[in-house]
Amino acid sequence: MREHIQGAVQFVSNNHLKFDGPAEPIAALPDPAETFGHVNKEVPQPPTKEVLAKLDTPEIKERCADLLSRYPEGQGALLEVLWLVQGVFGWVPREGIRWAARVCGCAPAHALGVATFYTMYNHAPKGKFLLQFCRNISCTIKGAPSIIAYVEKCLDIKTGCTTPDGLFTLLQVECLGSCGNGPMMLVNDDFATDVENDKLVMKPGTTLTKESVDRILKWCYAHEKDMPKHDVLGGTVKGHCGHPGAPGATAKPQVADYAPPSPVLNVKAEADETGATLTWKGAPEFTKIVVEKKNGSKWEVVGEPGVKDKAFVDASGKVGDVYRMIATSGERTAKPSKEAVTTQKPAPVEEGK
Amino acid sequence: MSNYYNMPKLPTENSPKVEIFVDDKPVMVPGDTNLLEALKAVGIETPHVCYHPYLPVSGNCRQCLVEQEGPRGRMLVIACYTPVAPGMKIYTPASSARVKNARKATQEFMLVNHPLDCPICDKAGECTLQENYMEAGQNESRMRPEYGKNYHGNPAHQFIDAKGQLRGGKHVDLGPRVLLDEERCVQCDRCVRFMRSIAKDEQLQLAGRADHTYITTFPGEKLDHEYDLCVTDVCPVGAMTAKYFRFQKRVWLLSHTPTISMDDSLGANIWLDHADGHIYRVMPRCNPEVNRSWLSNTSRLAFQNFDKNRLPAMDVHKVTLGKGKVALVAGGSCTMEDLAALRMFKESLGDRAELFGGSLLKVGKPDGIAMSGDPVANRAGMKLMGYADVSEFMKRASEFESLITVNANLFGEDSAAAKVLEKINTRIALSAFDDETVKEATIAIGVRHWSEVQGTMVNSLNILQKLNACPVCPDENLWAPYAVLSHMAGTKFETAAEAFKKVGEYVPALAGLTYDAIKSTGKLLEGGEA
Amino acid sequence: MAEVVKVCTQNFGKGAQDIEVYKKLGGYANISERLFEMSQFELIDYVQRSNLRGRGGAGFPTGMKWSFVPRNSGKPVYIVVNADEGEGGTFKDHFLMMEDPHRLIEGLIIAAWALGSRAAYIYVRGEFLPCIESLNKALNQAYAAGYLGENIMGTKFCFDIFVHRGAGAYICGEETALINSLEGQKGQPRLKPPFPAVSGAWKSPTCVNNVETIMSLPWILQHDPSEYAKMGTPRAGGTKVFCISGDVKNPGVYEAPLGTPMMTMINEYAGGVVGGKLKAVLPGGSSCAPLTAEEAAVATMDYECLASMKTMFGSGAMIIINDTHNMVDLLNCLGNFYSHESCGQCTPCREGTGLLHRILNLIVDGKGHDGDVELMQSLCGGFGGVTICPLSISLGGPVGSYTAKFRADFDEYIAKNPDHAKPRVQENYRPGIFW
Repeated sequence: MREHIQGAVQFVSNNHLKFDGPAEPIAALPDPAETFGHVNKEVPQPPTKEVLAKLDTPEIKERCADLLSRYPEGQGALLEVLWLVQGVFGWVPREGIRWAARVCGCAPAHALGVATFYTMYNHAPKGKFLLQFCRNISCTIKGAPSIIAYVEKCLDIKTGCTTPDGLFTLLQVECLGSCGNGPMMLVNDDFATDVENDKLVMKPGTTLTKESVDRILKWCYAHEKDMPKHDVLGGTVKGHCGHPGAPGATAKPQVADYAPPSPVLNVKAEADETGATLTWKGAPEFTKIVVEKKNGSKWEVVGEPGVKDKAFVDASGKVGDVYRMIATSGERTAKPSKEAVTTQKPAPVEEGK
Repeated sequence: MSNYYNMPKLPTENSPKVEIFVDDKPVMVPGDTNLLEALKAVGIETPHVCYHPYLPVSGNCRQCLVEQEGPRGRMLVIACYTPVAPGMKIYTPASSARVKNARKATQEFMLVNHPLDCPICDKAGECTLQENYMEAGQNESRMRPEYGKNYHGNPAHQFIDAKGQLRGGKHVDLGPRVLLDEERCVQCDRCVRFMRSIAKDEQLQLAGRADHTYITTFPGEKLDHEYDLCVTDVCPVGAMTAKYFRFQKRVWLLSHTPTISMDDSLGANIWLDHADGHIYRVMPRCNPEVNRSWLSNTSRLAFQNFDKNRLPAMDVHKVTLGKGKVALVAGGSCTMEDLAALRMFKESLGDRAELFGGSLLKVGKPDGIAMSGDPVANRAGMKLMGYADVSEFMKRASEFESLITVNANLFGEDSAAAKVLEKINTRIALSAFDDETVKEATIAIGVRHWSEVQGTMVNSLNILQKLNACPVCPDENLWAPYAVLSHMAGTKFETAAEAFKKVGEYVPALAGLTYDAIKSTGKLLEGGEA
Repeated sequence: MAEVVKVCTQNFGKGAQDIEVYKKLGGYANISERLFEMSQFELIDYVQRSNLRGRGGAGFPTGMKWSFVPRNSGKPVYIVVNADEGEGGTFKDHFLMMEDPHRLIEGLIIAAWALGSRAAYIYVRGEFLPCIESLNKALNQAYAAGYLGENIMGTKFCFDIFVHRGAGAYICGEETALINSLEGQKGQPRLKPPFPAVSGAWKSPTCVNNVETIMSLPWILQHDPSEYAKMGTPRAGGTKVFCISGDVKNPGVYEAPLGTPMMTMINEYAGGVVGGKLKAVLPGGSSCAPLTAEEAAVATMDYECLASMKTMFGSGAMIIINDTHNMVDLLNCLGNFYSHESCGQCTPCREGTGLLHRILNLIVDGKGHDGDVELMQSLCGGFGGVTICPLSISLGGPVGSYTAKFRADFDEYIAKNPDHAKPRVQENYRPGIFW
């Protein structure tokens, strides 16, 4: 990097500046944000002890062990472990990120990068009901902006804010993958366009209207105390063996011979004056191919083409002869290919036709 | 982030040469490397920001675009990630308007959110963006003030300035040695890759995404690592700056002396950047075999004490020695020339003198980056020159009546072990610094420091490396150690080259060599492992 | 409307989330001797003959993708199901996983048999928690019934499926970004080569397939591959699950053969355009170029026809736009979306999408200026083929095509600025007192 600045701008070397000796390294100047004011308020972080105590439960330990057993490297479980943290706190405090990094065996800074890259991890506490409205193209076509404006008016907050009672946080998000129901919303983790039988529902073809938004908000108020809560990872799966080699996994690697060996496919035989030409489709793992020809009720070996060959010519072959091919992969010999009856090779199409 | 395990393959002298077509002209290039390095080898510079030869390729700056003829026509590819293949057809801006425009467009995007504070930026003058702008950009700004800038920055550091513009963090205190300017960052990922892949301690990370990405440590933690100042070297812009050099000197006022850091037996190659008779900073000098582009903080910051606590010059005629045995001890930072002069002095004394070299400091382990852990820089040279280890001398210290140390601070290194030396009557110390050994000495002679002398050293990889004299000596009357010693021996070496000739006489492997025959990256001696 | 064969959506509304119902409807019939007697090579050949192409958007032939996976490399082979559905207008995977999770599991077992995979990961985007619950429930049932785990149905074959919850990043729909995300890194696309089929997740061969692709496999295996191939066009076999949204009477998920005329889809399946006259159709999700009403009248829904009309088939997500909408508003939506979802890796995309969004915002706010549109077009020229993944082109393409096809809409907005024609004063920005 330095090579090309070498000897640059020599013409200034003769200006005799008074030299006072290198001053002491400049200490940190006042933070401009302190002078002008921070744009974003610092999120108060819970004490480390409190965070670790909440995460140190047998249930979470068990979940972490289960997650770590699924991936060949601990870091693979990072996203899921961060979800567990969010499940406990409703957001990911810094110490929670550090804890997740420790669980997964990666650097805390790495976990921070990951936690800030994905938008679903909250870095500040959110309201009890997180209302996320889709503002992407399909929902906008069907009137999402007016619905969002209506909700903002109802709750008297702007997008991104939380109501003073801490009940609702309003967010506009990108496509929620339910464009057929646009405009639609997520109430915490439930897709919703309406309320039916005291449950949030999103039936095919229904969309949010001002009335249904009213019903959903009413439902939220009614369920302030007994809000149905989902498991952050959608429940556990029992009976899996984990990833081979992962801590706590019982799984063994897949055995190589679980499936039968590959036979030769698509054997075709066409005869012309030079004999019968065989073509086929072979698997990359073949180590040996044998061509056999039917002689009465017996099969006779007529040749052994190389595994990379594309065609094989049997000089004595003629129309009506029956061929089959047998492939070997390593020590396993496959079942014979389907029998191929030799046909007359069609005359080559003349050019210009 | 992507493919962080792909280190670039660099061409070597033994690389097979293959023919490729650059702008339809056949050229021979090294065949086992990437296109960017191959083009560089034939003198075609490709502007780049994120690529660094000693870091894994991340390919995110998109500045090094070239066109490659492929099965689907001419495609733009990044030169840093395209391997050289025999017969490939490459088009550079010299012939392809498309490449020229693509590079120009990338350059424009790079500057969209970059602050225009070059006049007060420490990197100005050696900034990759400035260089690329001269090479690939130079377009008139099409941005309108209404579009505004979206400065990158940590939300916790953002503020709105007097003009109503949202700003990112300025001079963020990243750690004890490094300051970060978030706005200037171009998200090239180099510092992250350095900390992850070279320093093996992922303290830095790009947080956030899209144009809200910013460099950060884990909140509450500081960037603190033996090699953390290297992130200021790899930073292509003025985002990461070293606190010790901040606002000290414009870089174009600095002159550069290539030399070797004599505090470790790996002998890291360095530039001493100096002006007005003072060293302002020390930068790593690229040597693929030795320290690549890295330099430890210890070696880098040592220069701050080079001109402090110096010993003044003294007339060497006053030196007289007793009749008994004489121990001649060379310190770790002695060059081959000093060693040769000392040996010459020993020969002038006859059999009663013995040669020792080394230090009482402990030998550590190599860290795999730019330190071998051995504080005796020229240990291999001492071995070649027939010096016994200083521990041998310490065992038999009582046999000697006189002791001459050359830049060997035995009392400072291990004052307890050095107690036995107090029994020696005549203790002459040749030293650059007024150190503990000088205080204990009966006669002290000031000499030049290794940064101020020309010379050679043999590092732990058996590579002969060349030191150059940086014109920063505080006192013109100071002599180099080899000059003092040869004067004491009877024939004074006026130049280092004379002393080096003497080295050739003592060491057959170096016979007939001249300084000009040693490349800037050194000369591998026979029997070396590198 | 003729009766169409339903490959993926046949169990919709029948309660197939329960394994007993699914089995009664013919499910898991493939996990039998017939499959166990097939070699890997035969099964891949079978899929190749069905002419199945990836349903995620790129349309790469599935059988060919599988044949690239090196066998006996000594490393495990991973199958990763891409259920990170995030492209505007696409919502088929959401309903496929909700309604018929067992079909996905059955398809995965078939795919695993073909590739010799030991573990598969279903990468579901974080917003689809109900889908994850549905999948986990189905997985529990499948494990209990012995379709998954060690020595399935008494064979030597072992296979496990894990559901991985994403956390909100559109770019993870790109296969290498998805693999990075699965590895617990930021979801940023990787440089290619190496391609995932050779070195993907944890440097092992990895096959990334869309939900719908995998869910087509049980039907293909039950029937003859030629029967599947016959349903589509010569170069892409089978039916496709189309998502129709926007200004139509009945938006939703519809399965139809490839090559169905676009107007048939709009008028017969989705019940026609409502709220005005047809203005434009986005045939393959939000990132494709729009077709005007005249172009839509002659288009058919398949890979080749749409490619010839300089747009793309993508994931088969049709967004219908009527003439009450101004295209600038919709483009602004996309600007918002793509500048928010850029992973921040490549310079043109990271800085460029944000800049385009700022310019679009100005136009929508009535502060547009003559020359803005030309500048946007010129900036999008800098996106073409220079980034690691096509996200920048996903915005650059629409900006180019919207401005070309619906220029009047842009001029209408720019005319709202009374000073739109005045030459702008170039003010030099000087930094404040802090630097």
